[in-house]
Amino acid sequence: MLFNSAEFLFGFAPIAVVGFYLLGRFSRVSAIRWLIAVSLVFYGWWRPLNVLIIGPSILINFALARVLLRLNQGEHSRRTSQAVLLLGILFNVMFLGVFKYTDFITGTVNDVFGTNFVLLHIILPLGISFITFQKIAFLIDVQAGRVTSFTFQDYCTFVLFFPQLIAGPIVHYREMMPQFNAVSCRFDQENVAVGLTLLLFGLFKKVVLADKIAPLITPIYQHAASGAQVPFLTAWVAAIGFTLQIYFDFSGYTDMALGLARFFGIKLPPNFNSPLRAPSIIDFWLRWHITLTRFLTAYIYNPLVLARTRRRLTKGLPGLGGRNTTVGAFVSLLLFPTILTMFISGLWHGAGYGFVVWGLLNGVYITINHAWRLTAARLWKNRRSYDRFMKPVGHLVTFITVCATMIFFRATTITSAIDLVRGTLGLNGLGLPQDLLVALGPLAGILHGIGVVGVSSSGQELIKAGKLICLLLFIALALPNTLQILDRHEPALGIRPGPAKLPIGKIAILKWNPSLPWAIAISAIAAVALVSIGGPSEFLYWQF
Amino acid sequence: MDTQEVLSKFTDILRDLLLDDSIELTMATRREDVPGWDSFNYINFTVAVEMQFGVKFKIADIESFSDVGAIATQVTKMLAATS
Repeated sequence: MLFNSAEFLFGFAPIAVVGFYLLGRFSRVSAIRWLIAVSLVFYGWWRPLNVLIIGPSILINFALARVLLRLNQGEHSRRTSQAVLLLGILFNVMFLGVFKYTDFITGTVNDVFGTNFVLLHIILPLGISFITFQKIAFLIDVQAGRVTSFTFQDYCTFVLFFPQLIAGPIVHYREMMPQFNAVSCRFDQENVAVGLTLLLFGLFKKVVLADKIAPLITPIYQHAASGAQVPFLTAWVAAIGFTLQIYFDFSGYTDMALGLARFFGIKLPPNFNSPLRAPSIIDFWLRWHITLTRFLTAYIYNPLVLARTRRRLTKGLPGLGGRNTTVGAFVSLLLFPTILTMFISGLWHGAGYGFVVWGLLNGVYITINHAWRLTAARLWKNRRSYDRFMKPVGHLVTFITVCATMIFFRATTITSAIDLVRGTLGLNGLGLPQDLLVALGPLAGILHGIGVVGVSSSGQELIKAGKLICLLLFIALALPNTLQILDRHEPALGIRPGPAKLPIGKIAILKWNPSLPWAIAISAIAAVALVSIGGPSEFLYWQF
Repeated sequence: MDTQEVLSKFTDILRDLLLDDSIELTMATRREDVPGWDSFNYINFTVAVEMQFGVKFKIADIESFSDVGAIATQVTKMLAATS
C-alpha cells in the first residue's frame, strides 16, 4: 500500500489511527498490539507472502538478540557474544543478499566469465534493505550494552511500526522505545494537527512536485537507453530534473512518515535538511538521507576508522588531522574507509552497476573534499576571505556534482549513463530544438557560430521541463523546509524551536501554529495534492 | 584531574585537529556547533583524546556522546577508576 494511494489515505490510515485511540481509552497494551497488527496488514497488503518471509527473520533476530542479552548479563567472555553478533550480522546480510543480490551476482559472473547462469528473478520483499539495516543495528546495540531489556512485543513494535517500515527513517531502538513506553495512546490535538500538516506537506511534495517532473525526465533517460546521444541542455535537464524528482519524492515520503508517526504520538528522526543547499559534498551527506548516513557512519565507517587509527598510533605512525597529516594517514584513515563505506552505500541502494558507480563517485568526492579542507586551511589562512569567496563556489560545485552523479542512480544502463554525462560536458554537441532556434531569431546566427546545431524536436517538452525545474529549484533552495516551518512543535526528533518568524527573502511570516491562516494554507495544499492523487506514480525508495 | 582541565585539553586537541585557534569548547558544545567538526574528524578527536589521557572508549560510548560534556565526564570517570 503506497502512502499516496486513496486506499491508504482514506481507508487504512484513518482506521489504524482511530482504532489506536479507541483502544487506548481502555488499555495501552491493546493499543500497541493493535499498532503491530495493522502494521502487519500494511506490510502484507500488496503481497501477503511478504509477511511470511519477514516473519521468520523477525523471530530469528529476536532469538539472537535474547541470546546476546543473556550473554551480556552472565559471566561469559566477550568473544562468545561477538561470535553470536557476527552470526546475526551474517544471517541478515545473507537474507538481504539472497533476495536483493542473487541476480546481480549471477549477472556479473555471466558478464565477466561469459557464463549463462539463469537469473532467478526473486521478488524483493518490501523495504527489505531498510528493515535489514535496522535489525543489524539492533543486534549491535544489544551486544554493545546500549539496549538492556526488551520483550517480544517491544521488538515487534520497533521493527514493524508501519510509518517507517518500508523506507525509513532508519531508527534506533533507544530513540523509539522510550517514546512508545511514554505515549498516552489517546487523541491529542497537537499531535493530530502537526501530524496532518506533515502528512499533507509530504503528499504535496510527492504527488504534485515529484510526480509532475517525472514524466518530463523519464523520456530523456529512455532516449539515452535506446542509444541516442543526448545533447548538452537536455542532459542537464535530465540530471537536475531527476535530482529534484528524487529529492521531493523521498523527502515527501519522509514528511508523510513523520506525520503518520506523529498521529500515534511518536517522533521519528529527521531525514532531510534542505540538502540541495549544502555548501560542500560532506555537508550534503549530513543533510540527505540523514538516518542512512548516521547508520553507515556509526556501524561501518567509525568502527573501521577507530580500529585503523588505534593501530596506526600504537605503531607510532601519525594519525589523521592536525598539522602532521601524512599521505599514508590520509589513505589509510580517510580514503580507504570513505570509499568502502560509500561503495556499500551504493550497493545498498540497488543491485546494479549504476548504484555502485554512484556510491564510489560520492566516496571519491567526499575524499577530495576532505583533502581540500586539509590543504586549504594551510594555504588560505584568512578564514573570512576564504568563506566569502569559497562558499558560493562550494554551493555551485556541490550542486552540479550531485546532479551530474545522480545520472548513474537513474540511468538504466551504465552505457547510457556515461552518454548522458558526456552530454552534460558538452561532448554530444550543444544541440537546441529547431523550433527554439527559430524563435530566437537573429540570436540563432550567433549560436550557430559557436557550434550550436538544431535538432529535430519542437522543444516544447524541454521548455516545459525548464520552467518546472526553475519552480522546483526555487522551492528547494529559497523556501524554508517542512521541519523549519514546523520547528516550534518538534516535527522530528530533536528539532529545536527556532525564532517565531520565518524569513523568506525580505518578508517574514509567522511559523506554523494552529491558526486560521495556516489552516487555510494547508487546506489549499491538501486540495491541490488530493486532486493529483491517482496519477502515475511510485515512490522511488519503495523498491529498496 | 577535574573536568575543567579535561575541557581545556580537549580544546587544544580540537584546535590542532581543525587548525582553528578560535575554537572554545564548553561542556554544552555539540559537534554541530563547531564548523568543520564532522563525523570524520570526530573519530580523530576521540582517538587523540584516548592517546592523551591513556584511556580507551567503547565504540558504543563514542557514538552516544551527545556533547563535549559527555566525553569529559566519561574521561574523568575512567581516570578516577584507574587511579
